Amino acid sequence: MFRKKTVIFYLLPGLLGLLAFYLVPFAWGIWFSLTDGSINNRFVGFDNYLRVWQNEVFQLGLKNTIELSLLCAPPIFALSFWLAGLLRKRVAGDTFFRNALLMPYLMPSSAMLIIWLILFDYGGVVNRLVVALGFERVFWLEGSALRAPIVLLYIWKNLGFSVVIFTAALQSVPESLYEYAALEGAGWLKREWFITLPQILPTAFLVLVLAVVNAFKIFREVYFIGGSYPDESIYTLQHYMNNKFARLDYQDVTTAAYSFAVIVIVLFLLMYRTKSVRQGNEA
Amino acid sequence: MLATQPAKPRRSLRSRIRKARPLAFTLLCVIAVAMLLPIVATFLYSFFPKSEIAAYMKQRGSYDAARWMDVLLSPVQVSLRQYYAILIEEPLYLKLFVNSAFYAAAILVGQLLVLPLTAYALSRFRFFGRDALFFVVLALMLLPFQVTMAPSVMTLRALNLMNTQWAVILPMVFSPFYLFLLRQFMLGIPGEIIEAGQMDGAGSLRCFLHVMMPVCRPILCAAAALSFADSWNMVEQPLVYLTDSSMQPLSVMFNQISTDAAEVAFAGAALYLAPMLLIYLYFQDDILLGVQLSELK
Repeated sequence: MFRKKTVIFYLLPGLLGLLAFYLVPFAWGIWFSLTDGSINNRFVGFDNYLRVWQNEVFQLGLKNTIELSLLCAPPIFALSFWLAGLLRKRVAGDTFFRNALLMPYLMPSSAMLIIWLILFDYGGVVNRLVVALGFERVFWLEGSALRAPIVLLYIWKNLGFSVVIFTAALQSVPESLYEYAALEGAGWLKREWFITLPQILPTAFLVLVLAVVNAFKIFREVYFIGGSYPDESIYTLQHYMNNKFARLDYQDVTTAAYSFAVIVIVLFLLMYRTKSVRQGNEA
Repeated sequence: MLATQPAKPRRSLRSRIRKARPLAFTLLCVIAVAMLLPIVATFLYSFFPKSEIAAYMKQRGSYDAARWMDVLLSPVQVSLRQYYAILIEEPLYLKLFVNSAFYAAAILVGQLLVLPLTAYALSRFRFFGRDALFFVVLALMLLPFQVTMAPSVMTLRALNLMNTQWAVILPMVFSPFYLFLLRQFMLGIPGEIIEAGQMDGAGSLRCFLHVMMPVCRPILCAAAALSFADSWNMVEQPLVYLTDSSMQPLSVMFNQISTDAAEVAFAGAALYLAPMLLIYLYFQDDILLGVQLSELK
């Protein structure tokens, strides 16, 4: 550890940038959401919040954003936990599998869109599968059914990230713990419950929070499939903000943004309280 | 004492694992194929001649329950005409492609100049407010872009950067996620390495350049690859910060191009994916390492 005054030399460029492009906007935005945007820029307290919260379009956007992230996060969490379990012991070709799972993470959603639209077409491969399983064909690209291709595109892209994190956590559980447990006569279930679970709990929680928070970013996929004014069932909060923004209604945009930020910050504080983050912080 | 005893139970544990393998292997194969299929199909279709793809795309959007789209597996004849079309006949695609490459490269250079220094300060120095600063970086990392979108625009406008390339580049240069990633890695480097440098009379800057940077090579590669992918795929920032469509990167405009010219859409998509694919294949070990590090351990 250095304890020198020269730290300022290393810190300054990054600090200035963080201030200018992240922290100042963040603080300015809070101020903005509390004023009325007129020439005098009067302080109005929480009036903007009360108005925006009563707005039906805002409510729709918030509801959809939360619903979409709840559609994305649990499958990502469950699937990645299951896949990490499969990858935990060295299976033949496990590096290949991990790479195959992670590769979509780098692929641009917009480029994947065409193949997606073809797969989910009324006469496409997905509907062939649906029929083969004995169900009726679905108009995937219309109305609320649109959620399915969007959520699947999102899961396809982001699953590998969680799998890799989970696998690393599972593999870092010391093998000797299992051996002692086996010595003591603990069965599979007991070993999983008393060793694996406590050991990976912080990671599991992290993966869950990341899955929820990142799923708020699903706007990108929705925008590509539905445009700026998509079907009501996939109109997200960011659509609301972008459209308000285009109408130069900055007060409403920032107010909506911070109403939403509260959710993210609460999730973040919950995560920060878990052990693994604090360990890293104290080191 | 312990070394002699656990021989038997250990063997039984191992054999249980070996038994589970074929099933795990098969399941993983099925999933890997499902994950890679869209990418492979995009590349495959990019070699279909224009006429075949045009006819294929016309089958879309039919409401007739008696009709199915064909499942195309091989072209009547392999063609590269559509690549020629998007690269030479119609320069818009190439221009946007170059825009994307420019943004990604500029962001990468900026990050390389700024972030390792900051991460070094955060991980190897003790100073007032360090932990608070790290806390802020963590929080910023999780905050979705939408939250600070409007105030960012106002700030960029105040700095006179709106609707310039800088508006897209500069905020990304200070991206909290990569700062976090580098800091996590540097934290894990044993202090002895740095101390050895200090013993030899190196100051903090020499330690940084000649000890820290070479040791950090894998994480720098990982961060570079992930950051390049991030910039290559970014949508929200240019959409909001740039009003001039000629400055937009391919990620924003691709959708529009591909609906206007469906017969070359796959070639465009394949070409768009290609750099990411190459980067992934080249840096795969580093990328795996980088993602594992974001576990916050």
